Amino acid sequence: MANLMIVDDDADFAGAAAKVLQAAGHDVRMELDTAAALARMEQAPPDLVILDVMFPEDNAAGFELARHMRREGSPLAQVPILMLTAINVKFPLGFGSQDIDDIWLPVDDFLEKPVDLDALQQKVTAMLAPP
Amino acid sequence: MSEPSTSEPGTYELAAGSAVGLSGRDGPVASRGLPEALLVRNALWFCRRRWVIIGILLAFGGLSYVPGLFAHVGWRPDRLWPLVVAAVLAVDNTAFRWHARRLAAGKGGAGARSNLWAQIVSDLVVLTVVVHFTGSLETHIPFAYLLHIVLACIFFSRPASLVVLGLACALYTGCVLVEWAGLVEPTGVYADDVLRRQLLDRPRLLATNVISAQAMWLVVWYLASRLSAMVRARDDELAEANRRLSQSLRERAEHMLRTTHELKAPFASIDANVQLLLKGHCGDLPDEAVEVLGRIQARSRRLAVEIQEMLQLANLRSASDQPPPPARLDLADVVTACLDQLDPSARKRGIVVEKQIAAAPVVGVEDHLRMLLGNVLANAVAYSEPGGRVRATCSPLPEGGARVTVRDDGIGIPADKLPHIFDEYYRTDEAVRHNRESSGLGLAIVRHVAREGGVRVAVTSRPGAGTTFDMHFPPRPPMGREARP
Repeated sequence: MANLMIVDDDADFAGAAAKVLQAAGHDVRMELDTAAALARMEQAPPDLVILDVMFPEDNAAGFELARHMRREGSPLAQVPILMLTAINVKFPLGFGSQDIDDIWLPVDDFLEKPVDLDALQQKVTAMLAPP
Repeated sequence: MSEPSTSEPGTYELAAGSAVGLSGRDGPVASRGLPEALLVRNALWFCRRRWVIIGILLAFGGLSYVPGLFAHVGWRPDRLWPLVVAAVLAVDNTAFRWHARRLAAGKGGAGARSNLWAQIVSDLVVLTVVVHFTGSLETHIPFAYLLHIVLACIFFSRPASLVVLGLACALYTGCVLVEWAGLVEPTGVYADDVLRRQLLDRPRLLATNVISAQAMWLVVWYLASRLSAMVRARDDELAEANRRLSQSLRERAEHMLRTTHELKAPFASIDANVQLLLKGHCGDLPDEAVEVLGRIQARSRRLAVEIQEMLQLANLRSASDQPPPPARLDLADVVTACLDQLDPSARKRGIVVEKQIAAAPVVGVEDHLRMLLGNVLANAVAYSEPGGRVRATCSPLPEGGARVTVRDDGIGIPADKLPHIFDEYYRTDEAVRHNRESSGLGLAIVRHVAREGGVRVAVTSRPGAGTTFDMHFPPRPPMGREARP
């Protein structure tokens, strides 16, 4: 069992994802905005963060949170991040697995919405597995 | 990260709408000077031109040592002053150039205007010395002041260039008055000083001569400063139009991004919740309910894809006048990425995808090429029979560019319907019967991208035997688009 945090402004999606992950035995917290998520993470770092990219106030708030977590000296620097996005790779913000690097997009993996919940569960299991 | 919001009241006033048009030729823009960076470039240009003047003075001084050379045309120049003036100008110019280069390197702050002022004032003083020694009354040398007056019109605002005109008039008038009063011995390059003496002996004629010359300078200043202000106003208009265009492109990209997200996100939520029900997370459901949920899921996924394709097409259409900058890329990578993306759906239907991919460098917009190839490859899989075969090849062309072929042995397209397949929302009856999920926009997207990128697309098909898309990608997009490194 792991402590997971889902950061997504869409409560319906986050709730569905949380239910599946809870059924898999994880403890799941949901946060609907990145500032609240960061505050909670700093109190109790999760084992893995599932993070959306776009939020109502900022199109790239998910990127910002990921970069903030990865800044030098951050206690959250080692927390794995699985990024979710509803933007298809064909759009300007699109990115592929080759773009995942520590500087530009400091996340460990990503999934494109709509998310197959089985695939989400498999990714989470794989990311939590010891190297 | 943004700062957490506070409970303190805040005030925000919406900025008044800018109703300013692109005109304003006679407005404040006409009195503005040039931007700092351009002034620095002008200061350096001014220094380069001054070396030419220094060269002419040195040549003039040097040639005056050749016996009889100037005497032949009735000149008798002093041998020393051209060399002294050239030396003074060289020292000045070295200092101005050093300062201007510091400014260009961003080390000197905002001093370009001062640099140009110093250059012009110093030149006017030196020119007055040259005017004196050349002959302030009997030669045309006073018209050399016009050079600096016109340059001031180009570099500075109209009031500032008027100051330069005033300074030039004052220096020239001062020179003439000093000579006329006998404070300085009148001199000149002409061997015969009759003309000079006649003018000095007739004060009214002298005054008329000096005033008429300066009246002409005034006319030249008026025309040059007016033209310069008009050109500058036009530059400002173009810069403003360019700024607005860039801003509008940024806003459009942002809008497309946000719209896509806002339209797709609800489907992601519907899809996730339907999955919850279908996978039994909310308890067992009767078979009929599972069937209904399956239909809901299929339709919501189809609608999400349709929305995405409509947005892509709208984006391509609106981007036609200002397409994204192309970049150097390997088309093989794009084909491979599209095939990888398609792999799950091909496997699901038991379709074998064969590929023969070779590196093929081209210049293009990667997102657009992905749309084009992704749609062609997706169609090949979608319109193949289960267990069918799709073959994709990518190879460089000997003359540059690349060729990509996508061949399937699917349902095919009747010959009379081929000319319409790139039309928006067009779908053949056979295609609708085979695959109800398509939006009919995929090949319209292909047509737009191909047209923008200069890609030649040939389609060969036979009903029941399959379809081949043969695409020739040019080494670089059509004229007018620069590639990013």
